[in-house]
Amino acid sequence: MIQFNAYKMLQTADGELPLDVSLTVEKGQFIAIYGNSGAGKTTILRILAGLTEAENVYIKVGNEVWDDSQKKYHLSVQKRSIGFVFQDFALFPNLTVRENLEFALPKNDVTEIVSELIDLMELQSLQNSKPHQLSGGQKQRVALARAIVRKPELLLLDEPLSALDDEMRFKLQDYILKIHQKYQLTTLMITHSIAEIFKLSDKVVVLDKGKIIKEGTPDTVFAAQKISSKFQLTGEIISIIKSDIVYIVQVSSGNSIIKVVATEDEIKDFKIGQKVLVASKAFNPIIQILS
Amino acid sequence: MNILNGNISQVQSHEGLSLVRVQSKDVAFSAIVLDTPETSDYLKTGNEVRIIFKETEVMISKDLNPNISIQNKLLCRIESIENGAILSQINLMHDQQAIKSIITRNACEQLDLKENDTVLALIKTNEVSLSAHD
Repeated sequence: MIQFNAYKMLQTADGELPLDVSLTVEKGQFIAIYGNSGAGKTTILRILAGLTEAENVYIKVGNEVWDDSQKKYHLSVQKRSIGFVFQDFALFPNLTVRENLEFALPKNDVTEIVSELIDLMELQSLQNSKPHQLSGGQKQRVALARAIVRKPELLLLDEPLSALDDEMRFKLQDYILKIHQKYQLTTLMITHSIAEIFKLSDKVVVLDKGKIIKEGTPDTVFAAQKISSKFQLTGEIISIIKSDIVYIVQVSSGNSIIKVVATEDEIKDFKIGQKVLVASKAFNPIIQILS
Repeated sequence: MNILNGNISQVQSHEGLSLVRVQSKDVAFSAIVLDTPETSDYLKTGNEVRIIFKETEVMISKDLNPNISIQNKLLCRIESIENGAILSQINLMHDQQAIKSIITRNACEQLDLKENDTVLALIKTNEVSLSAHD
């Protein structure tokens, strides 16, 4: 189990903002952190990693205390069992893929895990390539593999897939899930994609202006309106088009785009890019067998 | 969306389906949902819920006492009508409660609907969603 309590005054474009977060994570859980930019998401991961100091902080991972500001105790980054992947993770440009992974190993450690990860992440054909020869998705695959070479307790992912196109994103999500399960990691991932949260996480934490405003399973957090309708999906509004006296609202959800009729009053509150819940009664949809 | 507030007055469940009666002022609404009191906390007599149904699911009858299977009937006055090329939006008032209906313009013309007409708004039981108050 991970206990995390932190208080830190953040300097933002809008002035000072107190980050005040208390979080408990069970071992093996996959936690998504969701919220507007500037809410403090990255700072939480950095405090966990020991890269950023906080005024008040207490972190306990399993039986080991990583931070206790009251006792002025701070475990250095190098001693924390973490793997970290950012949006644009820098690989060592002069080392091959395999060497990049080996470099992350503790000295004198066996290289078995490197071969295992190369197999698991399907990097066999790329293992002797240099980073500049790789695509964005391939680089992130290597970065992910490198982050878990030391089999960390904690995997911290800061929007690792946001620079990738959808197809690559879906693939990488599968890899992340695979390593999370195989190495029984506890994973915290910052993401803006609700579809990603539903696919990967057991629990989602919604952060706003430095505070946790909601947490729970993706179902309870994003379907918080608790409507009885059984035909539900969450997505993003991608267009609103007037059609006679009504409006056609297009919503993108996962790989599909659906259309919903809305009235003029309703669309006043809608905007492009807004996250929405689409619901219909279970009595309406028709099921057809695909041949 | 049409949204009305009410309180659950009765829940009748069988094999995962529940027929829920919700009292909203003088109207007893009925809704059929795929929840039961065992699976959903909100299905309790007395609980406050919101009754939700789409404008396009509201039928209009000029016959004020039709012999019809539809369970939810609200006596309304037509406040205004907005005509499109294909659709018409009928803005209705039941007591103090505004309800909207979207029907085809053809239907609107066939019924010769006009402002201040008294009509019956009809909503099928399986078109009514319930949402628990938080």
